[in-house]
Amino acid sequence: MEGIKAKPSWLHGRALRAILMSIVLALLIALPALISKSWLNITIEILIMALAACSLNLMLGYTGMVSFGPAGLYAVGAYTTAILLTKLKMNIVPAMIAAPIMAAIIGWAVGWVCVRRTKVYFALLTLAFSQIIWTIIFEWYAVTGGDDGIVSIPTPEFFFSIANSYYFCLALVGCCIFALWRIVNSPFGRTLQAIRENPDRVEFIGVNLKRYQLAAFVLSSIFLGIAGSLYCVFSGSAFPDYAHWTKSTDMLVMCLLGGIYHFSGPLAGSAVYTILAKTLSKHTMQWNLILGVAIVLLVLLMRNGVVGFVSEKVFRKK
Amino acid sequence: MTLEAALGQALSGISLGMVWFLIAAGLSIIFGTLKILNMAHGSIYMLGGFLCYQVTSTFSHIPGVFWLALLVAPLVTALVGGCIEILLLRRIYGLDMIYQYLLTFGLILIVAEVCKLIWGVGYNTVAVPWPLNDTVSLFGLSFPKYNLFMIGMGILVFVGLRALIGATSLGAVVRAVTHNREIANALGINVPRVYTGVFMLGCWLAGLAGTLTPPMSVVALGADVSVIIDCFIIVVIGGLGSIPGAFLGAIILGFTTAFGLYIIPKLAVAFGFILMIIILIIRPRGLMGEPD
Amino acid sequence: MLLETKGLRKSFGGLRAVFGIDLQVDENEIVSIIGPNGAGKSTLFNLITGHIPADRGAVYFKGKDVTRLPPFKISRLGIGRSFQKLNIFPRLSTFQNVQVASFSAKGLNRSLFSRAENILTEEVEHILESVGLADRAGTLGGLLAHGDQKRLEIGIALALNPELLLLDEPTQGMSPGETSQTTELIHLLVKKRRIGLAFVEHDMKVVFSISDKIYVMHQGMMIFSGKPSEVRSNERVQSIYLGKEKDSASRG
Repeated sequence: MEGIKAKPSWLHGRALRAILMSIVLALLIALPALISKSWLNITIEILIMALAACSLNLMLGYTGMVSFGPAGLYAVGAYTTAILLTKLKMNIVPAMIAAPIMAAIIGWAVGWVCVRRTKVYFALLTLAFSQIIWTIIFEWYAVTGGDDGIVSIPTPEFFFSIANSYYFCLALVGCCIFALWRIVNSPFGRTLQAIRENPDRVEFIGVNLKRYQLAAFVLSSIFLGIAGSLYCVFSGSAFPDYAHWTKSTDMLVMCLLGGIYHFSGPLAGSAVYTILAKTLSKHTMQWNLILGVAIVLLVLLMRNGVVGFVSEKVFRKK
Repeated sequence: MTLEAALGQALSGISLGMVWFLIAAGLSIIFGTLKILNMAHGSIYMLGGFLCYQVTSTFSHIPGVFWLALLVAPLVTALVGGCIEILLLRRIYGLDMIYQYLLTFGLILIVAEVCKLIWGVGYNTVAVPWPLNDTVSLFGLSFPKYNLFMIGMGILVFVGLRALIGATSLGAVVRAVTHNREIANALGINVPRVYTGVFMLGCWLAGLAGTLTPPMSVVALGADVSVIIDCFIIVVIGGLGSIPGAFLGAIILGFTTAFGLYIIPKLAVAFGFILMIIILIIRPRGLMGEPD
Repeated sequence: MLLETKGLRKSFGGLRAVFGIDLQVDENEIVSIIGPNGAGKSTLFNLITGHIPADRGAVYFKGKDVTRLPPFKISRLGIGRSFQKLNIFPRLSTFQNVQVASFSAKGLNRSLFSRAENILTEEVEHILESVGLADRAGTLGGLLAHGDQKRLEIGIALALNPELLLLDEPTQGMSPGETSQTTELIHLLVKKRRIGLAFVEHDMKVVFSISDKIYVMHQGMMIFSGKPSEVRSNERVQSIYLGKEKDSASRG
């Protein structure tokens, strides 16, 4: 059984964790002064994808629901904000708030259908819905701009400074990730984990399985919508491939790369994946080949991801 | 719609369906027996297409070179499949589905890049082979002979597969392993070898489909990704693990797409997904699949 | 009458698994169900707890018809269950295994933002003590010894504060020492909490030491029921089933 190793003694690990987190936080706050603008851009992208991966992991690592279609809800968030900002010339605040709301509604509808089935059928259903969302975005030219996407999205002057954008993103992503942290450590979160461990058993402790799976799906969709909305604001555009299943696979790879059984796994995975993608694709035409090989090796050799690997080696119980 | 147009649409739907059937049949038996959802199946199909092009262009001085390609390319793809199964898939059986999904997705990337390195990014064409390179007249309408050939091939393979799986002792072994791996093991069946064999058969089918397609269309990158989703739809509609199901599903999807393109071209692509969702909700084992 | 089944019937395809079962369990009563493998005992439990739907017949809990209710509703009504094949949450700790059941019992599992580690700790520790797992609270469920896992199963069922406990082979795979410990435990639990208990067992020593009433099943049917002494002396039961066990029990 994957991931079942003696849990390390966190008692002294906790102090270490607190120190690590403070260092990371300090670094993140000081970052604009430390690195170039282009790297700051990359960091913003890492933060947004970290949120997306973390949201996916609520379903994947915590509830044991393998979804092939998170990109669909991510794109719903992006396009909601994009359309409200361009077609309806809304103010940015309501435009961004509408994104998770829309994602929650669509996530609820899609999720309700998908949780009727389990395992591979659930996964295929999520894929089908995500592709339907992609098709709608691709074909509904009047509203979504179809294949051209939506570009030159008007954003407030505040965001013209990249440092401002970065801090806004850091703050919003930070709050969302904190919320997700609280959720997974709550009684609700424990119940989700019990569902992952033994979905047949939870019914015998009085848990309505489908209701909780749907709740996980909707919560995941909400945060995916926020991530999509953020990305739309920062890139100033929205394209159909935000919803494509290959984008979903990127998110799955980030989760796996970091480690799905740890909260920080998707965060680490997003950072490693994005940095590798950006640096390697500059130096070689064969980025896809390297990625493919890396994924294969990851699945064969390092299934618990980077964080899982490190946590085993560093905190191994004596 | 005139009769001619309707029949034309029907024919194009069925020929399209035949290619899909071959790929979907392979996908379906791989899932049915090995319980693995092979994302890279479309890549094998695409590889078959490239191999067909390679054989026909390298040996173009040989008359009837296409038939040589038809023989060789699927065997090569079957061998590639065998290597993949032995070297990679054997290590991940029994693991959670996400690992299988991601590993086979990694293979998609690898195969695509390798094809790009060898054959470049342009379109490649293969000529329709003699004696199929003209049309035949049926009921006063003219149909391309090659399309009819493809339909014939599809039916031939269908019958052959049914005979192989249903009526031979080899097929009985495969069926035993599909039903219950443990019991088959206990009966002395070499289960790993059966797994390899079934995977190779699936890849042979995909390679065959890939070899048959180029004369009707082009050989290009991107076929892997575009075809795999259609095949998932077919396999779900027909039932994971069922060959007649794959046949039926392919015909249904072929028709739905052909007529959909005619009626509401914009949403034709979505029809397949909607159908897939309906089946997954009402009858998840598909039209002809085994109950869970 | 805490639990009563009337004429429960279930077939799988053409195979008749359970045929016309009438069962009764009262408060503060220990009832055991014995029978050879394939007699339909686990199927009976699955029918009672709603895991599979009955073809015919009814299940009454405290007078209320619960036959068609889904499992999560039945457990909320006060029926706890353990399983023959281990059914714990492997990657959660022993403590968390019981705790998540307690959350559910107290309706707290919808709470999204409170910290789980501080909630219901006393209750959970109390339950762990009563099943003898207090010193292994931090161990991951999947890493416990087999006997401890079986007791964790009971602990999880107890967390629901059940009025009726259904235990499916609670001592299976245990050493003789563990078996008698667990038997003691079960007996104590029932007497202290005044709940009803029905359990399936193959170990006749356990069955005869604590049962108030024994049901004997064979090929899906209830062929005899009565007090331990009655069962022991019934010839039909002896010939079908007890013959082999009697030898091993007297040896054991």
